[in-house]
Amino acid sequence: MKPCTLRPSFVRAWPCIASNFSTSFFQLPPPPPPPPLAHARNVTQIRHRRFHSSLSAPPPPLLASSPPSLPPPLFLRPPKHTTTVSELLEWHSWAKSLAASVGSSFEDSDNGPDSSLLCRELNWLMDDVLHGFDPSLMGKAVARDDPDIVISLRADVQELYSLWKQRIEERRPFQYIVGCEHWRDLILCVRDGVLIPRPETEIIVDLVGDVISKDEGLREGLWADLGTGSGAIAIGIAKILGNYGSVIATDLSPVAIQVASFNVQRYSLQDKIEVSEGSWLEPLKGVEGKVAGLVSNPPYIPSDDISGLQAEVGRHEPRLALDGGAEGMDDLLHLCNGAASMLKPGGFFAFETNGEKQCEFLVDYMQNQLPGSFCNVNTLSDFAGIQRFVTGFRNR
Amino acid sequence: MKISMAIRSLRKPLLHRTAHLGNPPPLPSFPKLSEFAVSVAARPRPIVASSAALEWRTGERTCRRGGFFSGSSGHSKAPGSCFYSNGGAASSSYSGGSGSSYLELTDEELMRQCEMSTFKSSGPGGQHRNKRESAVRLKHIPTGIIAQAVEDRSQHKNRASALLRLRTLLALKVRNAVDLEAYSPPKELLQILPLKSTVRGSDCGPQIGPNNPKFMLGVQALLDLLSALEGSVSEVAKLLGLSTGALSRLILSDDSLRLAVNELRASKGMKPLK
Repeated sequence: MKPCTLRPSFVRAWPCIASNFSTSFFQLPPPPPPPPLAHARNVTQIRHRRFHSSLSAPPPPLLASSPPSLPPPLFLRPPKHTTTVSELLEWHSWAKSLAASVGSSFEDSDNGPDSSLLCRELNWLMDDVLHGFDPSLMGKAVARDDPDIVISLRADVQELYSLWKQRIEERRPFQYIVGCEHWRDLILCVRDGVLIPRPETEIIVDLVGDVISKDEGLREGLWADLGTGSGAIAIGIAKILGNYGSVIATDLSPVAIQVASFNVQRYSLQDKIEVSEGSWLEPLKGVEGKVAGLVSNPPYIPSDDISGLQAEVGRHEPRLALDGGAEGMDDLLHLCNGAASMLKPGGFFAFETNGEKQCEFLVDYMQNQLPGSFCNVNTLSDFAGIQRFVTGFRNR
Repeated sequence: MKISMAIRSLRKPLLHRTAHLGNPPPLPSFPKLSEFAVSVAARPRPIVASSAALEWRTGERTCRRGGFFSGSSGHSKAPGSCFYSNGGAASSSYSGGSGSSYLELTDEELMRQCEMSTFKSSGPGGQHRNKRESAVRLKHIPTGIIAQAVEDRSQHKNRASALLRLRTLLALKVRNAVDLEAYSPPKELLQILPLKSTVRGSDCGPQIGPNNPKFMLGVQALLDLLSALEGSVSEVAKLLGLSTGALSRLILSDDSLRLAVNELRASKGMKPLK
């Protein structure tokens, strides 16, 4: 599906902010950097983790005047900038040599991207900046050897220099640079403060697709994506549910709520997906025992591993979405208990985990701590062969 | 001039995304056609040359289809369990017999005959990692043919591209026996022929080009016939009611078809079409 431009009804949904949603949305203040040990999201009773007082702080106002604001994703901006072919090429060869100078140094230090991957990102950046660009213009420039042919861009060349510098020198994730991530057949807007959806997580939607193809009852029910972030899983599920069922997407982070709502609106799924702010299961109050499916990609990295993460992840992505406590299991265990109380008989769950160790722990936990609650509990690998998911059904 | 070269290097990545089906971008490990001998034996089973061991990166781990809701209660942590199964007996949908039947399978059925893996698996992956490496590699188990896709930004799309590419490779590499005594061109072959062919009935509709997914079905039938006729374009042209020149033009109009024909001719000691 080709993403559409913003629809009028969408703007109507946000009368309080501005006429141009894409701009106003990205003018939200960036989230405050998470305090070093904040696990504000965690309300689990299992490990008795400290309930952070920051949870009760009011969310930031929608239209805060305080800078800095973020520009909209590149691919949604109007192509109102112009430049000459030669200027663009000069930037491109500068960017390419900067990428080449990285060699394997990032890879060696923290398993970051190498030159060839950065060059591929550079091509994708060109795709977004030159969206709808007619290559025949370039052809003409070649044929006439005319470097002064003017082309339209979605960002001016100076900004391209600054963006690529951020990418290489600050290791700012590529997805935050362009403001989007391609995930399944979707293009999801992302920004600082929201976890960038990972390729592994695409599988959760396939798992749900497989389950509903065998059980019409589940297709027609309520599905919950807890800790939705950009809204990726919720949107993926809503699309495969088709005309049936509905989805509720929850997140504790106000920024995630804004981004998820934005993405839901872009795909015109606002009638199908309810985006609700709150910690894990809180927004599900009142539907205990009635949920058809419960899925989540919760934070699962052990706290001690956070400091050693790849710079793009550790320095820039929200700790709230990564840090799963001492063993990385705090939120996963909370979700297991939640699945036991929320799912209807025969209801399905799928959780993403850190790997084999966590998968085994969860399976064991369900068997011994929640006996009789679940059946057909299974662990599944991602495409790299790492045990990544735990799935199962609520006992009938 | 410098600028022309720079522009060319700039255009390449912008253009190849639209053109990748007919012309897969060169990938270092993409198997060459020459790695697959093309056989003409008139046997009723598909013949695929068995250059079985196409080495990949060492250390790669694959993830095979397997019953992931296979009904058994309790839990399984079989390392092979993965998605893309619809319960057991997945391979029963693979219809033995004719190789052309692979192309008639739905994407899902074809996928169930494949082993899928990603390129690298260093480190713990998942939330730890943001490298945008969404490359996908599919290995078609019955034939050993491998297709991969790396250029797109999402794994999902790379999977779709790899599957399309696999269909192309299956058409180009799996040869089926042809009964020359009682030969009559199948409809999918007639559909890719130019309208002036004398054996092409009016019910075939307009000529199908390389952008139509059905084109590859015609290509497969054409290669089967060419293979049965020992690579002779003029003999094939006669059976298809075309002049040798017209058939040559059709063959040269599509890169993958041209390469496959020339591989086949080379294996018979014939000159390539140009």
